[in-house]
Amino acid sequence: MPLIKIDGKEFEVESGTTVLQTAEANGIEIPQYCYHPALEIVGSCRMCLVQVEGMPKLQVSCNTFVGDVPPDRKVDGKYDMVVHTQNDLVVQERKNILEFLLLNHPLDCPVCDQAGECYLQDYSFKFGSAHSRFEEEKRVRPNEYLGSQIVINHNRCILCSRCVRFTQEISGTSELFVEARGYNSKIAALEDRPLDNLLAGNVADICPVGALLSTDYIHKNRIWNLDQQPSVCQDCSVGCNVDVFSRKNQIFRLTARENQDVNGYFMCDIGRYGFHRFEEIDRVVQPLMRNGETFDALDWDEAIQKTAKLIEQAKGKTARMGSPFHTNESNFLLGQMMAGILGSLPPIRGEEINYPSGFRISADRSPNLRGMTDICGEIAEDLPFELNARNICGLYILDDGVDRDLDNTWKDILARMDFVIVQSYAMTDLAKSAHIVLPGLAPFEREGTITNDQGRVQWLRPSLPIQGEAKPDWEILALVMKEMDPGKLPMQDISQVMKEMGEKFPDYKGLSFFRLGSTGISLNGRHEA
Amino acid sequence: MKAFKPVLTEYFHEQECHTLSFYKSVGGYSALEKVLKMDPQEVIQEVKDSNLRGRGGAGFSTGVKWGFIPKDSPKPTYLINNADESEPGTFKDRLLMNKAPHQMLEGMIIAAYAIGCQTAFIYIRGEFYKEFQLLKKIMAEAYENKLLGQNIMGSTYNLDVVIHRGAGAYICGEETGLIESLEGKRGWPRIKPPFPAIEGYLQCPTIVNNVETLACLPHIINRGADWFKSIGPEKGPGPRLFCISGRVNNPGVFEEPMGISLKDLIFDRAGGIPDGKKLKAVFPGGSSSAILTAEEALDVKMDFEELVEKGSMLGSAGVIVMDETVDMVQACLNIARFYAHESCGQCTPCREGTAWLVKMLTRLVNGGGTPTDIDMIFEIMDNIGGLIDFSKGSFGKTICPFGEAVAWPVRSFVEKFKDEFLEYLPREKVLA
Amino acid sequence: MNSNGTPNEKFTFTDKDKVEKILSQYPDKKSATLPLLHLAQSEQGYISGTVINTVGGLVDCHPALVMDCVSFYTMFYTKPHGRHIIQVCQTLSCSLNGADDLVDHVQDKYGIKPGETSEDDRFTLMKVECLGSCGTAPVVQINKDYHEDLSPEKFDDLLESLS
Repeated sequence: MPLIKIDGKEFEVESGTTVLQTAEANGIEIPQYCYHPALEIVGSCRMCLVQVEGMPKLQVSCNTFVGDVPPDRKVDGKYDMVVHTQNDLVVQERKNILEFLLLNHPLDCPVCDQAGECYLQDYSFKFGSAHSRFEEEKRVRPNEYLGSQIVINHNRCILCSRCVRFTQEISGTSELFVEARGYNSKIAALEDRPLDNLLAGNVADICPVGALLSTDYIHKNRIWNLDQQPSVCQDCSVGCNVDVFSRKNQIFRLTARENQDVNGYFMCDIGRYGFHRFEEIDRVVQPLMRNGETFDALDWDEAIQKTAKLIEQAKGKTARMGSPFHTNESNFLLGQMMAGILGSLPPIRGEEINYPSGFRISADRSPNLRGMTDICGEIAEDLPFELNARNICGLYILDDGVDRDLDNTWKDILARMDFVIVQSYAMTDLAKSAHIVLPGLAPFEREGTITNDQGRVQWLRPSLPIQGEAKPDWEILALVMKEMDPGKLPMQDISQVMKEMGEKFPDYKGLSFFRLGSTGISLNGRHEA
Repeated sequence: MKAFKPVLTEYFHEQECHTLSFYKSVGGYSALEKVLKMDPQEVIQEVKDSNLRGRGGAGFSTGVKWGFIPKDSPKPTYLINNADESEPGTFKDRLLMNKAPHQMLEGMIIAAYAIGCQTAFIYIRGEFYKEFQLLKKIMAEAYENKLLGQNIMGSTYNLDVVIHRGAGAYICGEETGLIESLEGKRGWPRIKPPFPAIEGYLQCPTIVNNVETLACLPHIINRGADWFKSIGPEKGPGPRLFCISGRVNNPGVFEEPMGISLKDLIFDRAGGIPDGKKLKAVFPGGSSSAILTAEEALDVKMDFEELVEKGSMLGSAGVIVMDETVDMVQACLNIARFYAHESCGQCTPCREGTAWLVKMLTRLVNGGGTPTDIDMIFEIMDNIGGLIDFSKGSFGKTICPFGEAVAWPVRSFVEKFKDEFLEYLPREKVLA
Repeated sequence: MNSNGTPNEKFTFTDKDKVEKILSQYPDKKSATLPLLHLAQSEQGYISGTVINTVGGLVDCHPALVMDCVSFYTMFYTKPHGRHIIQVCQTLSCSLNGADDLVDHVQDKYGIKPGETSEDDRFTLMKVECLGSCGTAPVVQINKDYHEDLSPEKFDDLLESLS
């Protein structure tokens, strides 16, 4: 394996690795703009120039490959390549390139959304000079919409062409192109083919400066005011890894988080903007009981007691409905709660979309169908049939939380039941037809594990605080279980739930949040931990 | 001066010299006949031995370039004839195409045979419409006479040639920019590695050769590498088409041996400077080379090595003569504007630097300059194209040689005619 | 952003055989982009949005990338021009031999500045970079033809002869 020396430190690397990759993997910072690990190398920004001994010109480290050289050409007899990234020459050249980049760049930091997470800011601070020597008139262009979700500020654009390469290689839709040449170059889209594919939001993520901005997030807040929570998207069964940015009880945006086993570097717009669904909904924040056409509020003790009583009175004629929108822990406890029929509402499905780069949007638009099937218990295939056949008179439902039009079959079923208990966070149509509504948590408030359609268990982390008197769904189920079986030791902590989950279902054994970490664990070929 | 017998332009005075029948009557295609019986490696070796260096501007050894083609690649090899003559001061390829297209074609077929190519392209600049029409006729003639297509001259070798028009971009004369343009995209040069000889057109091994370089090949085959090597300096020999324009009495293309003195070219061949004016400065190798002062110009030979020693380069051998009536600052601005217009915009130093340069020079010419501006021009040029002093280590920050092409001439203008630049500064700024 | 016609509107090439010939010449379809654009421009005078749609379809390439190509090259026009496009070379050798006078002449006599078209659509004036004929400077290209060794008088006669 080739041996490379960077700034006096030795590294053994795989043949064909670039100098930039080696540096990044070993904590040596080399500034870069146009390079992105998911995109083709273009070497056009010239920011990653380093000095390689033996070559007269400075080389772009993103395109300098390390390989074995014949023994007589090794430096000092042992190095296949010797690189300097911090010497005077390289430092000066970086300053020069930054000066060129800032020539037309407006001093927008106070009003630019990218401030605080801007590569240009960071590198100018670290590597640039304090003032510009440019005394001519700057090139000024008005902003333009490239699509309904993306606006471009041409004056800030440094023409790294990441966005153009993204639409060509990752989404395959090629809406963006570079128009004109030289100094007049600018990023553009054809008027009747705007950037409106489902991966469009990613271009704002990958833009290293504040040129491409998401209209959804523009001017809403400052990145340093926001809390960043790594979590998992819940809008389809792919389970893309995300970062949720929130402040107090409002989510401002989601960005993709890297996970090479799930989503690569990107996420789709359905998940990216999906959090808006939960902003203006009719929340349930305390237990409710039906009183004719309206609902009365109850306190928790009362609600739990009434629930348990209804179930006991039904003498085994209660069916439970799990949900592929709920966590493994909630579904597990639902399964353990009692014996009897288990089912779920018809799945929510959409279009399955596959992109040339391998990125996928699943047709299954629920995040945890696999988990629910694994861990809930035996799910009945034709639930309405079973409900009839077994004269079921009561339902305990984990509400999907998705407002949907219930068809007549289901409307009849609900009307027929003696009692319907719904665990939900919002007054969906389903909740409205319940007798008791137990307030659970909304998707961004939940914590637990979910399993994607490739069998990867991931840690779902909460970003928003709990509202009112709502309780985590697993906790509600644990309380009902305790009420029905007072002798049993109550579950006080989610880790207890996970432990028992692991005991009953060997594949899920030994899972803990700590072990899942930020990348999750695959169930495939998993043996006893 | 010993009269030199022209090689490439020997028959240019004949009306019909461009026709196939005439070309054949003076021995045309006999080199090809010979080559078709040789082993391709032999041909490459012969060209290597001749020390033929590219006539497009870079001056790289042709034989060595051909040698880079991988011997055992499963991918097809391509030859591209670079007829995108856009370097200011250069107009020799146009002459060759008009007067001796078959000479160029024969050279192309020889080159294609040597590198194992079955499909070759002629990338001709879009503005050369008349030459394009002529080449189409020539191609048709060649196909009819079994000089192209299947079983050329009865051999087992097949070659197709496609003529491809450019559309107005100087950067498409750069080999990877040309390849990108040929692939149907914008002419943005590619980063190297990979090199075109390994991954070029359609990621296949590709060789790009200039028109004049190809035109030399039949003669090398016919008369031998040693003959070629004996013309002019051994390290960069051969007959060369020198273009002279600007302030001269008889501008035009002159075929001379490599190593002719620049003084002879200007004052003998081109008839000297009109109206008895004095020489001031010269571009020896197209506008991408550093300028020489009159003193330097009168003392130099047109040779690859010597010009590099003098701090310039032979490039495309497009000599532009400037006399005492020429304002150096205006000339510098003219060249700077050319490069800013032709910059492809891909990499940062060139895109921003060329525009900055033009803006600064325009401001200077309009009376708004300051003394620091002059020094800043040096710095900006170094930041794009690097120092001319190669011993200092670093030069050129751009993807392609365009950076050096703008930096070297502009820098030389300011360095050698600084007082003219200072003249443009408003009085009060200078005295302050 | 640029207008490019409605997404499905296409331009129809008059010389279909030539289109086929062009497409068959190259090992890869996309290489036919430039020749097809040249052909369309020679038929229509400029590259409209419909041309981009058609060429994109023929070479299997997204229209945005065809537009990318069109906007890069100076010889492709995206709007109609006058009958005679007067392209005066302004690079060094021509500039040293009186090219600026030729530009001024057109400006003075026909009242159009570089980039503009005359009212009667007769002339469009453009300043272009090196045309590769420095030995016969100053050089002007009108549509496809080179006119070399021009003096202001010769140039004037030439323009007058164009209707």
